[in-house]
Amino acid sequence: MSAAFTPISYRVVAEPTVRVHVSELACCAIEVGSAVALGLLQPEAPQDAPARIDVLLVSGTVTELLAPAVQAQWAAIGEPRLAIAVGACASSGGPYWDSIVVLNGISDLIETSGYIAGCPPDPRRIIDGVLALVPTP
Amino acid sequence: MSVRESIGLHEQSCTSCLICVRDCPSQCIEIERHTEQLTEGRRPKTVHVLDAFRIDYALCMYCGICVDVCPTDALIWSPVAGLALPSRAALVSDREDLARRAQ
Ligand code: SF4
Ligand code: SF4
Repeated sequence: MSAAFTPISYRVVAEPTVRVHVSELACCAIEVGSAVALGLLQPEAPQDAPARIDVLLVSGTVTELLAPAVQAQWAAIGEPRLAIAVGACASSGGPYWDSIVVLNGISDLIETSGYIAGCPPDPRRIIDGVLALVPTP
Repeated sequence: MSVRESIGLHEQSCTSCLICVRDCPSQCIEIERHTEQLTEGRRPKTVHVLDAFRIDYALCMYCGICVDVCPTDALIWSPVAGLALPSRAALVSDREDLARRAQ
């Protein structure tokens, strides 16, 4: 038996028409996980209303090895969509900016519409950031 | 437990000594300064005057080394939330923004 791996999508509890996908690359992803634990994000359920926008949270260090996976995840998301860099690594390479195998942020890879400062940002700030960066309906 | 929201700058306390700039592991602090001659007092002396202070929050790893090493406590942990903005360049926080975070 083989099943395709489908990453979980989430909805922002404060604004459930915003669907969130996560590139879980490093420690920032743990903070996104904490947003789930804090009840700020919840896994998408079949009864959810249609999403008005999809957000990809790239959370963690993007290495050359993982860059194609991020790109593929982004390509699989339909419009309207928004890519947001969570934390220093995804924004600029962070503490690893001088490493040859680390991208200087996801804007080298995909069109990026938002940057959330932090190393890592607090889970509440991640969700505040998403809500500030997503266009109002 | 306190959250490291962002870093603030007490401008008056900063002597432009550049210790924070040298010790920042991410090399994300930038300072511009000039020197002035003070002739008043017992003997003339040269002082540094701060012109610009920038922290690139897209690079900052929130280690707190700058806050720890600043000899005059000009840098502090601020309760003001960090930046979430649409452009990479906007994550560079200037002197005014850093001062606002220290109020
Ligand atoms: S917290 Fe660390 S990385 Fe950020 S400015 Fe201070 S020394 Fe640099
Ligand atoms: S270490 Fe403190 S006093 Fe020295 S330049 Fe940095 S902020 Fe100013």
